[in-house]
Amino acid sequence: MNLNDPLTQTLIFIALGAVLAITVITIVELRTKRQPSIVEAKNKLSIESLNTTQALAERAKQLQSEKEMTLSQKPQKHTRKPSEMVAYTLLLLGASALVISILYSSSILAFIGLGLTFWGALLLYIKPTKYVKASLLDSTALSSLKTIDHIITDLNYRGKAIYLPPKYPRSLKSGTVFIPSEKELVVPPAEEVAKEKVFLENPRGICLTPPGLGLVNLYEKELRKEFAKVDLRYLQNNLPKLFIEDLEIAEGLEISNEGNMIQVKITGSIYKNSCEEARKLSNVCNSLGCPLCSSIAIVLARATGKPIIIEKTQPFEDDKTIEAYYRIIEE
Amino acid sequence: MNFPLSFWDISLWLAVAAIILQATSELLSPYYAKTGILIEKRRLRTAALTLGLLFMFTVFIRIYQIIVS
Repeated sequence: MNLNDPLTQTLIFIALGAVLAITVITIVELRTKRQPSIVEAKNKLSIESLNTTQALAERAKQLQSEKEMTLSQKPQKHTRKPSEMVAYTLLLLGASALVISILYSSSILAFIGLGLTFWGALLLYIKPTKYVKASLLDSTALSSLKTIDHIITDLNYRGKAIYLPPKYPRSLKSGTVFIPSEKELVVPPAEEVAKEKVFLENPRGICLTPPGLGLVNLYEKELRKEFAKVDLRYLQNNLPKLFIEDLEIAEGLEISNEGNMIQVKITGSIYKNSCEEARKLSNVCNSLGCPLCSSIAIVLARATGKPIIIEKTQPFEDDKTIEAYYRIIEE
Repeated sequence: MNFPLSFWDISLWLAVAAIILQATSELLSPYYAKTGILIEKRRLRTAALTLGLLFMFTVFIRIYQIIVS
């Protein structure tokens, strides 16, 4: 094997690159396995189970034993993440190889040095941002939805939630959902909503901050676009990419419209569990919606400039796909 | 004491690294499947595209040299 032959050098370099790529992917995969699953919702408490005293007492006991176990453990030193350690090692080795290659005029060492330095830097660059468990996401969203359901049930409001569009420039980032007391759809005048009162008298109903508002502002931040300044076609072209690629909220998203009905098909959503739990709350699922359905309603209200209601949401048999129908209300 | 790699060696290195990264980024794309690998996939793709563009830049220099000579 002649190491001075350019072809041999190239082959060695390609082999080294491939080995490094495999190593990096293996390390990342191993680290992913070591971390608690972000998708699987473990130890999930259903809403019904919280309602029974026995279940609550059992849960309290379980939490107490977990707390005792945690306290009995010795405090651990903060250690650097394995990927960071590997990245810094690669950087150090690469830099050393580059220096030695200059000293001995070795092109092979220079290639190795370049490769190691590059992969070290890349590993630091692509390290993940903070992730949270999906179970945490579900629990946080569910408690507020349950509270809203209780309030609406107690007030005996029977109307469908109406997602109101922003009428004034200062409220472009905010959102309001109006739940009328009676079944007929009555859109409150913009002046009434602008007073920012919770309970409206004319028409009678309640104005709430929708559960998906935070998500919508995140969508706008990611897309660097205000939904109030776009149309439905823009949403059809850009929301799927945002959901699948940028935020990884879902595995698929399709938006289609027919007249004043808009159909949204969401596949493999990370809010699947929240959606399932929200379906058990009578005033939430087909009215206010889970955080994801609610966020889409706000997006549609902002883009069309018209009030929107969630007509119905239905899961598919595969248990992965949710279909939501939204209706544009002509004022 | 000179750096042992020429401009064209670096160009070759850029090409190979760009191909490896582009392939990796494509394989990890959420459009195909949820891989569950916790990395910034967008950053990986940016790095791959940057390397690809750098390689194309070296190619244009080569073409320019051929035309001039």
